[in-house]
This record gives sequence, structure tokens and C-alpha cells, in this order.
Amino acid sequence: MERRIRLVLAALAVRLAIAPFFMHSGDLGTIYESSRIVLSGGNVYNFVYQQTLLMQHASGLPVFFEGYAYHPLLIYLFVPFYWLFTLVAGPSLVIIGGHAPSLPVLIYPWALLAIFMLKIPIVIADVAVVYVLARLDFRKAEIYAFCPYVIFISVVWGMFDAIVAIFLLLSYLTFSKQSYFLAGLTYGVSLVKLYTAVLAPLYVYRLLGRWKELGEFLLGFSFTLIPVAYYFIVSPSAFWNVVVVFQGLRVMGGVNLYNFIWNVPDVIFDVLLSTVASAATIIGVAYVILKYGRRLPLLEAVLAVMLMSFLFGKIMNEQFLVAIFPLILLCKKCDYRLWAAPFIFIFLRSAFYYFAIPILWASPYFYDLYFQADIVWRQIQTAGYLMVPVYATGIAFSLLILWNLLQLLKPIRSWEDISLSRTFSRVVRTRRK
Amino acid sequence: MKLRRLTTFFVLYVVALSFIPLIHQTFIAQSRWLGYGLGAYAFQSPSYFVLFNDPYDGSSKPNIHINPSLVPNERISLIEFSDWTSYVNGYNLFNDFNVSIGTSPKALDVTYTGHGLVIHKFVEVPTRDYVSVKIVANKEIAVHIEMWKWVFTSVNGVNVTTAPKPTVLPISQNLDLTFLDQSSGVTGSGSVKMSRVPSQIEVWPFENGFNRITVDYVNSEMEFAVSGSVGSNQQPFPTWNYTDLPYVLPIVAIAAVCLYLLLVEKHGKKNKARSRRSRS
Repeated sequence: MERRIRLVLAALAVRLAIAPFFMHSGDLGTIYESSRIVLSGGNVYNFVYQQTLLMQHASGLPVFFEGYAYHPLLIYLFVPFYWLFTLVAGPSLVIIGGHAPSLPVLIYPWALLAIFMLKIPIVIADVAVVYVLARLDFRKAEIYAFCPYVIFISVVWGMFDAIVAIFLLLSYLTFSKQSYFLAGLTYGVSLVKLYTAVLAPLYVYRLLGRWKELGEFLLGFSFTLIPVAYYFIVSPSAFWNVVVVFQGLRVMGGVNLYNFIWNVPDVIFDVLLSTVASAATIIGVAYVILKYGRRLPLLEAVLAVMLMSFLFGKIMNEQFLVAIFPLILLCKKCDYRLWAAPFIFIFLRSAFYYFAIPILWASPYFYDLYFQADIVWRQIQTAGYLMVPVYATGIAFSLLILWNLLQLLKPIRSWEDISLSRTFSRVVRTRRK
Repeated sequence: MKLRRLTTFFVLYVVALSFIPLIHQTFIAQSRWLGYGLGAYAFQSPSYFVLFNDPYDGSSKPNIHINPSLVPNERISLIEFSDWTSYVNGYNLFNDFNVSIGTSPKALDVTYTGHGLVIHKFVEVPTRDYVSVKIVANKEIAVHIEMWKWVFTSVNGVNVTTAPKPTVLPISQNLDLTFLDQSSGVTGSGSVKMSRVPSQIEVWPFENGFNRITVDYVNSEMEFAVSGSVGSNQQPFPTWNYTDLPYVLPIVAIAAVCLYLLLVEKHGKKNKARSRRSRS
């Protein structure tokens, strides 16, 4: 058997073995709930908007229901697998509740099957990344296949950033091979999580003046906007509020320098301060695109823009790095060990046993253990002991991002680099002639 | 050179932002109702910290804490009103009413609607001496209010030795309390003055004191004026507290960026030496 296939099968086996037994009940519960709504013909944005209005009415604060606030394409990647699940288990609820602060009720054994089925698109995306990477660099594919951070995010947490990763990787590869229609199409799908939106100006900027290529790119991209247009027409205010207003008014934080905000209990102030971070991101990204967007090779330009947006961006969740991890692996200037910081952060922010709810809820003994452990965890949390390592990890990760960004932006200095770049320029000049 | 400028800017940005919690706590958070989380509210006055929990939790509605004068960052819970265990006309305040919250700079206005009733709970810190919890309804109501603390050592002179079982106290508009805070070991005293005459006051024993006082009344309006202090020789020893974090975060930020700059400097020197060696 070809070694690439062997690697893919090994990566698949590891993921499938873990998938049914773990989940982040808030995030996987959102995908389950949204799949149910869409399959029954409902409008998921209306549902989330109603919940938000109820919360805002009850609290008098600009708080939001943290439900499905993604690109509409995403849910259609999960619905077929949820539909297959209902063919076996029927349409009854098997994961009930689970949005913070409440804990879910799981109906066994079907809950495990539902968790497994909803993770299949994520596993496919992960394995596809391994397959594509193995063609380019087998060693890097091995790193991705067995990286604890990637495995944790995809099949323990159940977060779908691997879907962003595969489509971002494909958009980079197709753009490099001058298949601009496919580049636009795959980039459009990578927007299922909106943080890759910062790359749109980069792609457009690199194609400015080459109008045919730009047209092809935008045509491919526009296909992915069809569901967006549909929801904008069907439920404009719900879609606008759930996707745009929610993202715009989200309070900053995550594995970044802004997580001190969790120590400032004042929503209005936090939202206002978050606009500083948004402004810094816009300025930083614009600077990188205008100054380096055309000068750097595509891979480095894409990474520079993404790293700049992670550096100043107001939200940097633990899983975001997965999206650019394959590109980081391909780039010789970046240090892929960057993943350690968000991986550590996961265990500082969330209790490790929280991800094991599907196992712990299976027996009253384990169920009881969960709450005993939770008392200790909450005591540590409310005493503020965790906030210091949380903040330190956030800053450390930001500084690591800065270091990697500077490696990308650094002018070529060393003798070997200069001679290599001269040789390269000579080759290019000769070819042009 | 420009990249060095980016590093300098970023380092200053990190350090400057790390002072935000301290600036907020010192200049913005005092004597104002601040909403946070899923809809909880907090008010910090010079003497009291008042917490009103979010709409998904029936406890701490409100929870009134004392700030000891010598250790202002410590918060000693004085008394907690609970919606979980309080009733109006037999309906539970937490489960059987729709709740919405509004604020003015000084007062928190919590509105309970349902069963033909509109009830407002106003929580206010009018002076530095007391916290007011006022319940106003659109008609006369029969109310059962529960106030919790682990533990009250005496209520109106009655202690657990004289009342080892749930005991109805003589009707009074004042509740004079002494307490032992079980988590900090601090003792203190307080009082709850009621604006109307209640129909019943009962205390409920728990371990070495009472953990619950229930007050029943029939009226359309009632104000509870809560005040308290910790014993003068009972100031808690300053220990690590969540509210100390704003002082620690700038230290963490400065330490982290210094470490980064040192490592980058070292790494840069190593790289330069390597490239010089390779040229020669």
C-alpha cells in the first residue's frame, strides 16, 4: 500500500476511535440543534435571533445567544450526516440543552451515534488535509496527522476549523496553480468561519490589473455567496443581527493579549474597548496587504495577513490556529510548534472533564464524580488562580505570533539568501527574455 | 528598522492594555451598576459590594457584601436574598415570573411579570451606610422572602442554643444580626430594617447558627434597608483575592514582554554569528 494512503488511514483510525466519546457540549450541541432545525425546514438564524432578543430583554444588556452564527453553507455540510443519523435513530431529541451555563441531557446510546455522525465532516476535512499535505511534504503531513492539538480540536472538542483548513489550503494551492475560479470557490467555502475574511482583500489585491483572472476568482467566490443572499432575502434582520451584529459586538478575548477583559465585569465598557482591537486589526491587516501583499510569495503573504489578524484581532479562540496550521507547516519561515500555546490554554480555560461528558453521563457514579471535580474547579476559578496563567499564555501566544510574523516580513539578509534571491532573479529575467 | 518599530509598538500596546482592569476598577467601576456575563449586575460602593445574579440563576437576588475597611478588596457576604426560595401569592419568584432588568446609574430595577402582577424589585445603595432592597407591586400581595447567610449567630438576640429548631420570632420591623462568615472566619453584625410590619419572622438553624431568615408580609410595598460591618478587631488577614488580579496583570505583561525581548535578542545574536561564520 502506498505510504500516503497508510498515513491517511492511520489518521482516520485515530480520529474515528476518539470521535463518539468526547465533545464540547456547547459547540457540538449548536451544530446538532442547527442541523435539526434545518432538516425540519426551519430557519436557524430566526431561532438564534429570538433567543438573543429574549436574553437582551431579560438582562437589559447587549448580550447574545451563542448559537449558530456562521456562514449558511456550513450547516449544509453537517445536515446530510444528521439525516443519516435520523434514518437509524429516528427524529427524537438525543442531545437536550447544553448551551452555557446549562449542561446537556444525553439519551443513550443514540447520543454517542449523533456525536459520531456530526464529527464525520470534520474528520473527512482533517484526513483530506493529511492527504493533500502528504503529496507536498510527507513529514509535514505526519505532523498534522498526529498533532495532539489538531486531534483534540477536531474530535475531542468537535470544532470544525479543519473544514476551514482544507479549503484554505486548497485555495492557496489552486491560486498558486493559477486556477482562479477554483481558488475563489474554495476560498469562499473557507469562510464558513468568518475569520478568513481578512484574506479577501489580499487575493483581490494580488489580482488587481489582471482583470480576467480577477473575474474568474470573483465568479468562483460568488457561488459561495448564494446561500448568504438567500438568507439575506428570507430573513434580513435575523441574518444581519446573528452574523454581523453579533460578530461586531462580541467582547474580545481568547488566547491573546486581550483576555484580561474577563477580569473587567462591565459589558458596555468591554464592547467599547473591543472596537480598539477591531481598529488595530483593520490597520494592521491593511498595512501588511499594501506593503507586503504583492512582494511576498503567496504562502507567506497569506500567513502574514492571517497572523496579523490573529495578533491584533479581538477574538482568538483556541481552535483558530487549526485553520492555518497546514500553511504554517508548509512555510519554512514559521515555527509550527506554535500550537503548544492554544493547546495549553484549552485546559486552563475549560475543565478537562467537561469534554468527557458523553462518557461521564453514561453512569451515575461518573456523573457524581463530574460534579465533585467541578466544585474544586470552580473554587480554583473563582479564587482567580487560573486567570494569571490564562493571561500569561495569551500574551505568550501573541508574542509567538509576533515572532513568526516578523520572520515572514523580515527582509532577506543572510549571504545565502541574497545569493539565492539573485540567482532566482536571474532565472526569472532569463525566462522573461 | 520598521519591523523593530512594530515590535516596540506591540510591546507597548501589550503593557498599556494590561493596566485597563486596574484603571477600570479604580475610576469607572465605583458606585455604578455594571452588567456583565449573561446578565448579572454588580455595584461597588465604598462600604458595600452588591451582586445581582443573572436571569438564569435564582440565588443572589441580591447578595449584599461588606468591604472590610482595612482590606477593601475582601468581600464578606452579609445577606443573600434568594428568588429560588421566595414566593409571591404562592408563585415562585424565580420559576413562575418573567423577569427583565433595567438600570439607572444608582438603582437596579428588576421587573417580575406574570399571574396578573407587576412587581418591581429596586436595589439601591443610596448612602454609604446601607443597601436598600425595595419590593413594589401593582396590588397588595402576600410575600414570603428568604434571606440566607452561613451563618447568623444570632437574630434579635435569639441564638441557636435558645432556638435549636425552626423558630418564629416576635414580630418586629428590625432584625438585628450577628454573624460568623464560615469561609473567612470573620465575625460581624448587621441589621435589616423593614418599612412595613411583617406578618411572620422565622429563623432556621444550621450547624452553629441560623442560615436562613424568612419574612412574610401582606402589602403592596416593602423596603429592606440592610447594613452591617465586620468586628473592629476581626479585620480579615489580607490574602490572595480575585479582586487583586488588576494589580497582578501588568506585572505578568511586563515580565512576559521582557522575557520575549531577551530571547529575541539572544536568538538574533546567535543568528548573526552563524551567518558571519558561514560567510567566512
